[in-house]
Amino acid sequence: MEEQDYYVIFPNVNEGLKLEKQLKEKKIKYTIVPTPREISKCCGICIKYLFEDEGAVKQAAAEHGIQVSGFHALHKRKK
Amino acid sequence: MADYRALWEILGMDLEKHDVLCAVLPELYGDVYLSQQNRPEGMNYYNFVISEVHGLRIQELENHKEEGGKVVGTFCVFVPDELILAAGAIGVGLCGGSQFWIEDGEKVLPRNICPLVKAFVGAKVSGTCPYFQSCDMLVGETTCDGKKKAWEILDEYVPTYVMDLPQMKRDKDYLKWAEEIEDLKAKLEALTGNQITEEKLAAAIKLCNRKRAALKRLYDARKALNVPISGKDALLISQIAFYDNPERFIEMTNKLCDELEERIEMSKGTAAQKAPRLLITGTPMAIPNWKLHHIIEESGATVVCEETCTGTRYFENPVDESQTDMAGMIKAMADRYLHINCACFTPNDGRVEDIIRYAREYGADGVVYYNLQFCHTYNIEYKAVEKALKEAGIPVLFIETDYSNDDTGQLKTRIEAFLEMLK
Repeated sequence: MEEQDYYVIFPNVNEGLKLEKQLKEKKIKYTIVPTPREISKCCGICIKYLFEDEGAVKQAAAEHGIQVSGFHALHKRKK
Repeated sequence: MADYRALWEILGMDLEKHDVLCAVLPELYGDVYLSQQNRPEGMNYYNFVISEVHGLRIQELENHKEEGGKVVGTFCVFVPDELILAAGAIGVGLCGGSQFWIEDGEKVLPRNICPLVKAFVGAKVSGTCPYFQSCDMLVGETTCDGKKKAWEILDEYVPTYVMDLPQMKRDKDYLKWAEEIEDLKAKLEALTGNQITEEKLAAAIKLCNRKRAALKRLYDARKALNVPISGKDALLISQIAFYDNPERFIEMTNKLCDELEERIEMSKGTAAQKAPRLLITGTPMAIPNWKLHHIIEESGATVVCEETCTGTRYFENPVDESQTDMAGMIKAMADRYLHINCACFTPNDGRVEDIIRYAREYGADGVVYYNLQFCHTYNIEYKAVEKALKEAGIPVLFIETDYSNDDTGQLKTRIEAFLEMLK
């Protein structure tokens, strides 16, 4: 199976920063990245996380009422 | 996803063309930055700034303007940020580092001038840079012929004020530069309607010095045996310093430095311990020009310092904070700024001394002399730098290039051969 990267996108930057704060506190590994064009054509942040943390990321967002616009998986880019 | 199109429309941007530029960023940034192993976690802040480069920061500028504030664009480390801040305006660095803007720049400029000038003119005339579009006034300077004449073209699009930078460093040149700073002060007061008081200027001097101190702390971390941060990450931070909110930038850069200093304690580096350490000297690298650092670090070396305007020249030497009256503060700024060793001065022996001192301080195994095509002053000055480095026993490689990827393969070969020689 081809490897995939996992992303969560937001309706605005503040929601993204709120989730970042939670992930940092819970010590869940994440990276802020520019939103891949395959997901959305609007410039802005999204958060990349590891597949095994998906449940924890969703829970962190739900617990704190953080709005997300969606969770996406993309095939890892070949260099 | 945040939709910034309405904001860009207010700024009169060419949305369709701008979208082509936006399309390039995620992939370019992913390839150059996000592919790095062992990156400090604090780099997430700069990932955020880059991701929002045409979004959140532009919104902040717009909010400031809605409250009656002004935005001032600059292109050079000689233009004193202190005055812009003391006038209650926001300063943004506007140098263009993308090949994307070259084609539009060449529509109004000759082809055989430096890519930096072509790119910033192209960014304005194409209406694809929201920073340019946000500016109420530009402040240019006379550091090179290309820029000097480009201001006349930009002035047709947005009011462009020019500071006349002396090109020698005699006592009378220091006096003249202090007068130029006085004139800029009056110009900024007229633009903003705010008086630059001694109190406001003293606070702005302190703020800019704190930013310099944060950058110096970052650079000092790169002197460690196990370099805790890659050269391209450090370059990115320097580039971001030119347009980010200063207080936020200082806070986040100091936080990153806490992490870097912990890494040094734990001997946790980003590259192999035996990776050759290189110092880059020469012309500025405006965002998103990461070309040379990327090639060097992909080839297994680490860039430990940049003696450039997007490096040490931006933060070295704070402004003397002991002055309390206006004349004293203006003189202190004139002294600090005219002390920068740019190749536009003759003679410019101070730069040669800086390069050798930095090469030793940062433990560089070799120096890469970076020259943007058609930059005559830096190009000619190579001869003196090469001679001094040879005498000091420090190997040097001269690279002349532009923003395109046409010569990437060739540069890679030359850099690999240079690294081989350093072993």
